[in-house]
This record gives sequence, C-alpha cells and structure tokens, in this order.
Amino acid sequence: MEKYIKYILWSVGLLVLVLFFWWLMRDPTSQFTESNPGTDNRVADSALVNEVVNIGEKFKLFGTSQSTLKGTWTRFRGADFDNISKNSQPLKNTWSGNQPEILWSVELGEGHAGPAIYEGKVYLMDYNETKREDALRCFSLEDGTELWKRSYKVKLKRNHGMSRTVPAVTADYVLTIGPRCQVMCVKRESGDLMWGIDMVQQYRTEVPLWFTGQCPLIDNNKAILAPGGSAVMIAVDCATGKVLWETPNPGGIKMSHSSIMPWTLNGKKMYVYSAVGGVLGVSAEGPDEGRILWKSTAWNHAVVAPAPVCFPDGKVFLTAGYGAGSMMIKVTLSGGEYKVDVLKEYLPKDGMACEQQTPLVWKGVMFAIEPKDAGPLRNQLICVDPADVNKVIWTSGKEGRFGLGPYLIADNKMFLLSDDGTLTMIKPDSKKYIQMAQKKLFDGQDAWAPMAIADGRLLLRDSKTMYCINVSQ
Amino acid sequence: MSDKEEPKSLERRRFIRSGMQAALAVSLGGLAGFSLLKSSSKNLVWQLDPFKCVQCGRCATECVMTPSAVKCVHAYDLCGYCDLCGGYLKPDPNARSTAAENQLCPTAAIKRKYIEDPYFEYVIDEKLCIGCAKCVAGCTSFGNGSLHLQVRHDRCRNCNDCAIARLCPADAFQRVPANTPYMIKGGFTKSGGGKGKEKKG
Repeated sequence: MEKYIKYILWSVGLLVLVLFFWWLMRDPTSQFTESNPGTDNRVADSALVNEVVNIGEKFKLFGTSQSTLKGTWTRFRGADFDNISKNSQPLKNTWSGNQPEILWSVELGEGHAGPAIYEGKVYLMDYNETKREDALRCFSLEDGTELWKRSYKVKLKRNHGMSRTVPAVTADYVLTIGPRCQVMCVKRESGDLMWGIDMVQQYRTEVPLWFTGQCPLIDNNKAILAPGGSAVMIAVDCATGKVLWETPNPGGIKMSHSSIMPWTLNGKKMYVYSAVGGVLGVSAEGPDEGRILWKSTAWNHAVVAPAPVCFPDGKVFLTAGYGAGSMMIKVTLSGGEYKVDVLKEYLPKDGMACEQQTPLVWKGVMFAIEPKDAGPLRNQLICVDPADVNKVIWTSGKEGRFGLGPYLIADNKMFLLSDDGTLTMIKPDSKKYIQMAQKKLFDGQDAWAPMAIADGRLLLRDSKTMYCINVSQ
Repeated sequence: MSDKEEPKSLERRRFIRSGMQAALAVSLGGLAGFSLLKSSSKNLVWQLDPFKCVQCGRCATECVMTPSAVKCVHAYDLCGYCDLCGGYLKPDPNARSTAAENQLCPTAAIKRKYIEDPYFEYVIDEKLCIGCAKCVAGCTSFGNGSLHLQVRHDRCRNCNDCAIARLCPADAFQRVPANTPYMIKGGFTKSGGGKGKEKKG
C-alpha cells in the first residue's frame, strides 16, 4: 500500500513539475499585438502635390473707392511686429447699449486668415470652396464693399479652415501666401499681378498641417519667405520677382505656422524664424545677407504657430502648442561667432505658453493667453516679467477665459477676442487684470484670426465672417 | 346562547373581509414598494455628463468592474479626422505614426485608419479601453472634444451607490432615464443642448 502511495506522490510531483515548467516556458505576451508605424495605411496624396497652379490667373474688378482714411495695419502683428497700434485715434473707454457697433460684415470661406489695412482699404486672403480658388480680396474699410479680387485655382480640402495668413502690404505691393504655399505679389492699388512663386514646386516645401500659417514679410521692397525644403529662407525683389538670395537648408528644416520676425542684435539686423526642426537667425543686411548667423535644434516641435519674441538683450522667447511648451534662449556674439544657450525649457502648465497667438510685450511685461493644456490657467490671459516667464504676475481668473483668440493693443487698451465672438477690452497693466468692457458681438466659431485696427475700426473674424467694429470715441 | 353573541356566518364574513383588506393592503404596499424599487434602480441609470468631465482618470480606477464600465466613445460628427490627433498621439509626438511610442492610449485601444489626404478615422476597440480618459484629455485640449467617456450599460452593474459617482471631482455623474441612457456629445449638439439623447455613433 505504501508503495502505491509513493508512486502516486511521485506522479503528482512530476505532473506539478511539468506544469510548472510549462507555465515558465509560456510566453505571457503571446496575446499582445505590436504597434508598429505604418499600420494606418497612410499614403501620400501626390495628385495635390503635383498640381500646377497658375498663380494670380484671374482678376475681377467690382468697383472703386475714394477714402479719407489714412490709418494702416500693414502686416501680421502690425507695422512694428509687436501687435501694438501706434497710429490709433482715441478709442472708447467703455461700451454701452449697442456699442461697440458692427459697421459691416462680409461672408468668407472657412478659415483663420487675418486682414491687413492700408489707407481705407482692407486686404484679405480667402478661399472660395465652390470655385476652388485662393483669392486676395480688397474691400473698402468704410463700408465693406468689395473692390477687386485676384485669384487662382487650387484644390484644397477643408482641414480646420483653409486660408490662415495675413497679407503684407506696402504703399506699392501686397504679398500673400496661400494655403498650399503659393506666393503672390500684386500692385496694391490696382491688384495687377507682379509675380508668383509656388514654393512646393520650386523649393519642395512640405505644406504644413492644416495648410500654410506663415505670414509673408516685405522688408525694403524685398519679399522675405521661409519655404523650408531646399531653402530655409529666400528674398525676392517685389518689383521684378527675381530671387535675390536663398539660404541653404542642410538641416532639413521644415516650414512651420510661425512667421519670420526681424530683429537687431548688437547692431546686426537679422531675420528670426521658429521652424519645425529648429530656430535660426539669418543675416538681413551686408555682405553676408541671407547667411545663417545662428541656429539651434534644441527647439524642435511638430507644430509651431506663435512667432518668436525677440528682446534687445539677446533673449528669444519661443513657444508652441500641442504639448510643446516654451523655451527661452539667449543669443550672444563672441569672437565674431554667435552662440545660442538654452536658458529655460518647460511645459505649458509651468509658465507662459501659447498655442496659436504670439505673446505681446508691453512696457516691460509680457501678456499671453495660456493654452488648454496649461492646467488651472487654461485659456486665461496671464502677465509675466520676461526675466522670469515661470512666475505669473496676474491672471484674468477663472471667469476670464478667452480660448485661442487673438489680442492687440491700441490707445492704451487691450482687445481680446474669444473663440465665440466675445470682445473684451482691458486696461493693460503690469500689476493686475483690469477689465474695462466686454460684449458678445456675434455667435462665433473658432474666432482665431489675428485682428487689425486702423482709424478706430477694429477688424476681426470668426471662421466664416469678417466684421468691422467701431471702437473709436 | 347570549343575545350579544354573533352568528357564525357573520364572523366568517368579517374574517373574509378583513383578510381581503389585509391582502389588498399587502398587495398595494408591495406594488408601491416594487414601483419605488423599480423607479430608483431600474428606470434610472448612471451616466456621466461629458461636458462636466475633467478627465481625472478615476473612472478607470474606481469602478467596481474590472476593467471599468466607463469607456471612451467617439462622436464622429464632431471629429476633425485630424492627422495630428491629440487623442491618439502623445503631446508633441516624434512622428504622426501608429508606432507604440507615439500612441497616447496605454492599451492601444484606438485604431487609426487613413481615409484620404488629410483625413484619418479613429475607432475605439472597447474590449481594450479601460476608461482612463487620457485620449479624452488630449482630444479636449487640442481638438474638437469628439472623444469622450460614457458609462456602457452592457457592463455597468447600475449600483445604486456608484463608486465613481461618489468620487467624481467634477460631479459629472448623474442618474438619467433608462430609456435615454447615453449623453453622447453629438446628440447634445444636434438637440440644441438637450440632454440624454442617445445617438449611435
């Protein structure tokens, strides 16, 4: 009997041992599925990339306008690239009744392109979804009447709006960049076509997500553009369309939604561009014009929309949305060579950050609306000292959330437009948030386009309509 | 036999009447109790208001079910079909690809499919979803907020004492009629703010 019990125990022990080894040998991850790149079957849409676009092929004259208005807002962030109007007439200190009055409005294609203003005329890049064409449209600032449009056929698919750039305007020219990177230069008064460049065809530019956001720059009658692709930056003579210089792009920097900002450091004028793949400064004058003076790949994010904010002491504040956060760098000149040091880098919840708009510097402090991923400060206007961008001086509070909308300063008043069409006027202050007036102007959606102001008329838009608001006294 | 003594037939009648009254009272009480029980636990079910949800992650950890009865649902009519999807990709991703290192979902429960340039479709595999709301936070921060959480009633035990509702910091959990048990975002939009509209999406 004992012998049988011994056999049974040995058998059970052996079985347990076998099961144990089977369990050890078993792959616990056999049910797992690997997540590898390419399982979404992404393919390039070559039909659109290879499309031949006849830039500026069509023109339509609707009327003429004689205006006594002399105010200007000539480009993205205004004449001095700071979003502060210097030529504003006195504006209302508060609003009552139906103030501020909507003077006129026009229907637009879905987008976030902001207007520019020059002596009674409004210039706006638009996309007509029915006709499938980009159009530079010229309106009267007085009453919103369309005066002319210069357009060209180009295929786009709706992707959170289409047109999203602000034209650059001088006394002679209007320069535009369309959603698929087509550059067009026309005569300002007549709309006559000067020249066009398709940056996709000519420079192998990769059209950014949600289309082009880079607003063009005219500097001394030179169009300054950042195509990425085969040239990180180029200069084109506005009068002739001749390419004056091209900055090579060995690092493969790509076009971002950000715009080129002129900067003078230690007496040297340069163009600063916050690209996808890095930030760089390109000489804007002298024998080395068009050459990269400094570059840093420490700033490298997939989507960059705000422009760099450059300070006289060599600091450059860089910020971007979609989780990127912000960085403060310092550019110094030593022994004839420029050096870039990263001073700070942080996530949106830890200090000033922006997703779409560019921070505004005013009397030594910096204002910006925080992105949605900034924790408790999401969508609030905050004020910081540029010397310590992590320390918030004041916020607009829980009740003061503004979405992703734009802001500018005129006549010592700051105007903020919320996504939904609510306009808020505050007194810019370095110590506290002071709200002067607020009004919901319209039932808006995605009112993200940069605003423009001249002659007491504030131009703003949501995704489909542009409004002219009378804010003058 | 006394004068006051009642006949036996009368006693029987009173007994039957009393019995019937008692039976009626018991049945009415039972019916009332049953109705009360039914109205409190069957006609109302738990649901979370996606507009109140703050994506704290407690739905994944506090539900009595494992994995949670709260799942991510997708309102396709709100979705932007973005290439750079804040609900699918980690913030500031290395690349817009399906590689594991770029995916936000810890269980790879969201499947991404190219439709045509520039659109991508995102489908949720509910068997894998644990209701952690990471994708909801990303979609809400950077997109249209089409990804949102809902209590799935094929899994929910409908405890009268919902473990998540007790801890929800946004007070987003509420009882809704059982015949309209979902608060899908697309339904909110289309009904002009009306709540509890179920919509297949």
